[in-house]
Amino acid sequence: MTVIEWIRFLTGSLFLLIGIVMFFTELFGVFHFKYVLNRMHAAAMGDTLAISACLLGLMIFSGFNFTTLKLFLIIVFLWFASPVSSHVLARLETATNENLNKYCEIYEDITDLERELAARNDTETGKAPEKTEEKEASAL
Amino acid sequence: MEIYHTLYIALLALFSFLLLICLIRAVKGPQVADRLMAVNMMGTMVMVMISVLALLLNEGYLVDICLIYAMISFLSVVVLSKVYIGIYEERMRKKNEEEDIPHDSH
Repeated sequence: MTVIEWIRFLTGSLFLLIGIVMFFTELFGVFHFKYVLNRMHAAAMGDTLAISACLLGLMIFSGFNFTTLKLFLIIVFLWFASPVSSHVLARLETATNENLNKYCEIYEDITDLERELAARNDTETGKAPEKTEEKEASAL
Repeated sequence: MEIYHTLYIALLALFSFLLLICLIRAVKGPQVADRLMAVNMMGTMVMVMISVLALLLNEGYLVDICLIYAMISFLSVVVLSKVYIGIYEERMRKKNEEEDIPHDSH
């Protein structure tokens, strides 16, 4: 193999390696978090970033032809489809789970959350940052 | 070339291993959303495997199958979520009616 070929091979392998590391991160997150709405965050990352990196590496291997174009189309399609499927799954979870209060804070009215966040901002800018150890709030 | 061939085979083996871990999540998941999420993840990994296979066999049309697979995987997640929400609402409605009927007869 010539030098150019080696450079191509190494660049493609680098992208594939990034993709595989992202896939492992995704799997670690999916087993690490305790609730499905947290797990979804890790899982949605793999749908866009990891597969994009993997397919980018494969595009470099494949060269300049129609296969590359089709691989690019898959990436573009997943950019659109993955957030939608994550949203639908989150809606499934919030619609069917009866004791959602156990896992996260629920704000019935979004203005309550905005007021609380504004108050928190005021205290942080007014005084030195006190205890910032607060529960993760998730607005619905 | 030999080195590409080896790399593709190694990638296929690795992704089949990752797929197995996803399957564990799908079996373990306590909620329905967990299982659907795991199925979605498996779909993503199978897409990469099909693309690797297309380059390994040097057949461009396999990437078309990958595109179709992406669409069907997306559709299955959306449809299954909608169906499950519908089933849940129906069950709730039926439960409420059963509670209401003896209440009205008093």
